[in-house]
Amino acid sequence: MEPALLLNTSMLLTLTILLSPMLLPLLSTKFTNSPTLITRTIKTSFLCSLTPMTLFMYLGTDSITSHWEWKFIQNFKIPLSFKVDQYSMMFFPIALFVTWAILQFATWYMATDPYITKFFSYLLMFLIAMLTLTIANNMFLLFIGWEGVGIMSFLLIGWWQGRAEANTAALQAVLYNRIGDIGLILSMAWLASTINSWELQQTPVTQTQTLPLLGLILAATGKSAQFGLHPWLPAAMEGPTPVSALLHSSTMVVAGIFLLIRTHPMFTNNQTALTLCLCLGALSTLFAATCALTQNDIKKIIAFSTSSQLGLMMVTIGLNLPQLAFLHISTHAFFKAMLFLCSGSIIHNLNGEQDIRKMGGLQNMLPTTTSCLTIGNLALMGTPFLAGFYSKDLIIECLNTSYLNTWALLLTLLATSFTATYTFRMTLLVQTGPIRMSSMTTPDENNPTITNPIIRLALGSVLAGLLITSYIPPSETPPMTMPTTTKTAAILITVLGAILALELSNMTHTMNQPKQNTYMNFSSTLGYFNPLTHRLFTTKLLNSGQKIASHLIDMSWYKKMGPEGLADLQLMATKTSTNLHNGLIKTYLGTFALSILIILLTQT
Amino acid sequence: MTLLHLSFFSAFTLSSLGLAFHRTHLISALLCLESIILSIYIALSIWPIQTQTSSPSILPILILTFSACEAGTGLALLVAST
Repeated sequence: MEPALLLNTSMLLTLTILLSPMLLPLLSTKFTNSPTLITRTIKTSFLCSLTPMTLFMYLGTDSITSHWEWKFIQNFKIPLSFKVDQYSMMFFPIALFVTWAILQFATWYMATDPYITKFFSYLLMFLIAMLTLTIANNMFLLFIGWEGVGIMSFLLIGWWQGRAEANTAALQAVLYNRIGDIGLILSMAWLASTINSWELQQTPVTQTQTLPLLGLILAATGKSAQFGLHPWLPAAMEGPTPVSALLHSSTMVVAGIFLLIRTHPMFTNNQTALTLCLCLGALSTLFAATCALTQNDIKKIIAFSTSSQLGLMMVTIGLNLPQLAFLHISTHAFFKAMLFLCSGSIIHNLNGEQDIRKMGGLQNMLPTTTSCLTIGNLALMGTPFLAGFYSKDLIIECLNTSYLNTWALLLTLLATSFTATYTFRMTLLVQTGPIRMSSMTTPDENNPTITNPIIRLALGSVLAGLLITSYIPPSETPPMTMPTTTKTAAILITVLGAILALELSNMTHTMNQPKQNTYMNFSSTLGYFNPLTHRLFTTKLLNSGQKIASHLIDMSWYKKMGPEGLADLQLMATKTSTNLHNGLIKTYLGTFALSILIILLTQT
Repeated sequence: MTLLHLSFFSAFTLSSLGLAFHRTHLISALLCLESIILSIYIALSIWPIQTQTSSPSILPILILTFSACEAGTGLALLVAST
């Protein structure tokens, strides 16, 4: 059997199965969607997508297929082409597995919602857009997927549209993504005008100018919430927990990093762009980790943790290691989605309580959820031989053994220790300790709809790293020899952060009032970034607009220097000279008449 | 001097004296001002014909423009000071 044919057919089958709940209601009226139907569709699609993955693992088949061409203008080819290579083939099963678990969980979480079918259709449409982005071979199809995920993110964050904060958060998300889109359109325009094609195979590799790379980095900053365009990600926690789990942890936010992975050949030779990625990623990871230290909302802690890991992925791109970044994307998807699902279970079981200062002692009340929360947190910290270890430890090792900016290295190491600190803080406050919630809550997790997805994802968190690294050989040689301190640097720093967290939690058992200090203020107000940019920037812009349009043009040029100004000048002159006049008009006119008579007489 | 010169000269002189001597009504002074300009205008129009040069033909148009502005200003002053 020809492997290429099997590969392409099964990929197309996966996509068609996904599209069927969207298209079949349009074709016959007897067909009705339901949440369980959509969940089963995703499960089927996942099982179907395992075929291409195993084909790639055992035979190494790649393919690029071209289906249709949009004949827009004569000289510019925009085909509908799919690239089925290592990245898309690995991403499909992982994304579909995570989505299957999330949708199964969402049938319980959103059970009381009257528009639950619409919710599931939105999630399905989001998934289709994301997979289009993944499988795209040219920038046009990628842009379609990019915009699709942006719009679905807007619709899903503002799902509870009666809530003002949800609407603001959705608007914030779409505006920040739009700023990133400017960068993407810039690079697309540069590519179209320079190499007359949008295919990823034709991008210039040898000497790329920095301008399109800056555009791509801006696009990744917007979509993947790097520092500068990051406030939308914590605000996006206003959406329901399945939305946070799917979009803002595993799938949508990695779209920016995925774009950089796909266009990586352009970056390889441009050291400026790589250093920019490195420093930007290091700054983002440290900033997000600092902000997560003083958060009290469980979903916001996990959101900042996502932001921090995205910064780490950007650092990996800056090290010229796209495959390692993709490995981190894959392993991160499992444990981050599981963390969100566990937090969703906790929130619903405590009747909507999201503040960790009001939880405690949940280990005895929700054993499965809290065990999986612990597994997820350990995987996030990079505990040896769980999923996060294979990618995160390798990244830190490569960081330590490369020739790069020391500042970036220091920031990343500091952020790794902070990761341990805030995850430990969250675990201790949520699961252990005295019960700080109302005694009327009845937590109950005996529903298999809750526990089965979480346990599946826990299995993924434990095994995924091992499986992926065993079956996919690396394309660059990882560093093999290094001093012992360097090799154990990640573990040491994580343990240091954990010890710090334990010490600090001991300090909170005393009854002292916490005093305000600069660092805590910085961390809890998210670095003063939100009020600075959201207020300062907009007031400056609107002020300068008012200055130019209203003050300068209307008042200055039309009034002061135009007609009224002239009148004012005349008035000033008149008022000055009124004092000089004596008013002897008879004398003046008499002299005038005398002059005329003299002229008359002297003419012959 | 020729008859043409006399007519222009006398029109100009009479209007100027009228400007100096009409003191009861401002509008009569303004009318005299208008007739000064009118005499200059006609003189400027005849002069290129007399000297057979065509370049100063634009001058009457310019004088007309200025006279219009001046008349407007004078009338505005008249209206403003009543």
